[in-house]
Amino acid sequence: MKINLPTAVLLVVLVAAMFFAGRHLANRSHGGAADPARISGDAKGKLAPDFELKDLAGKNVRLSDYHGKVVLLNFWATWCPPCKEEMPWFVDLQQRYGAQGLQVIGVAMDDSDQKTIESFAKRLGVNYPVLRGKESVAQAYGDVQFLPDTFYIGRDGKIVSHVQGLINRKEIEEQVKKALAPSASTLQSRRLRPA
Amino acid sequence: MRTRMLVCLILLAALFASAAGQTQGFGGPGVTVLPIEPVTIQPGKSATLKMSFRINSGFHINSNKPTQEILIPTTVKLNPPSEMLVGKIEYPAGEQMALPFMPEEKLSVYSGTFNVTGVLKTTNSVLPGTYRVRGELRYQACSDRQCFPPHTQEFAFDVKVVRSATDHKRKNPAQSPNIKG
Repeated sequence: MKINLPTAVLLVVLVAAMFFAGRHLANRSHGGAADPARISGDAKGKLAPDFELKDLAGKNVRLSDYHGKVVLLNFWATWCPPCKEEMPWFVDLQQRYGAQGLQVIGVAMDDSDQKTIESFAKRLGVNYPVLRGKESVAQAYGDVQFLPDTFYIGRDGKIVSHVQGLINRKEIEEQVKKALAPSASTLQSRRLRPA
Repeated sequence: MRTRMLVCLILLAALFASAAGQTQGFGGPGVTVLPIEPVTIQPGKSATLKMSFRINSGFHINSNKPTQEILIPTTVKLNPPSEMLVGKIEYPAGEQMALPFMPEEKLSVYSGTFNVTGVLKTTNSVLPGTYRVRGELRYQACSDRQCFPPHTQEFAFDVKVVRSATDHKRKNPAQSPNIKG
């Protein structure tokens, strides 16, 4: 059997395409579970969907209430040990970077009652708003199929980065610093502003 | 030259296929209910059944007795037909594990394959035949770095009720609606 070079290249491309398509489908059908924690670029640059949720005191809170701040939006649940692990780190980051404009917001995605979530947050010394999550909000943020799921939102309301799963404290702080850093467009508008 | 190229292409295709198979085999956070061995039981007697579950690689689920109240325990619930009663359900002890970032906090979990046993008892009036028993496994799965919402997985198995020696004397027994055709 004779095979020429263009046919060979086409065959390799075809096999590679089938492989990647298969892998993509496998990951989709399993909720992307095959990957450990990863920083996904998918949401980057998109406007963070606004929402209105109740905090633990029953007060309505909107994401847009925090426009102009850098928001670390963390989806979590009481039954999620990796979520519990990073919450004290968020407490520390809120303390250290709050004055620079950071606002951490936790969205509790479990069915536990108000009291359980409240005492859980209190035990961990949570110093930022904890909101009761809704499926519609999870869907708006790309389904939030597993926890923790964290979005770093810039002052302009756009998603700077999206981290799925637990990453270490240093990496989280790097994400916060990145979100707090003035964006290229902000710098440009400052340069254009007359003295 | 061309034969060599063809051999290389076939090897490359085999490599891709193997890699794709491995990715699909990872299987997400699911738990597979392994086939349950047939249970045979006499009227008025009890039998122990073994239910085996396999957790996909890279994941764990809480044991029936998690180390913290807030964590969701793994439970098995059996819903037998009216002619049967469920006795004690026994769970294995969990293995102690700690997350890489929380070495001081131990969790009690199942990973790999684990077995749960349950006792089924039939009433004295149960008729011989094959009965369908439905069950539910409730669990909450995590990997080292992420957790999935609690999930209830349904399963079913057959229980065969056979006559005891004294029952052989009975003629024209009535039919139970729970007996499988």
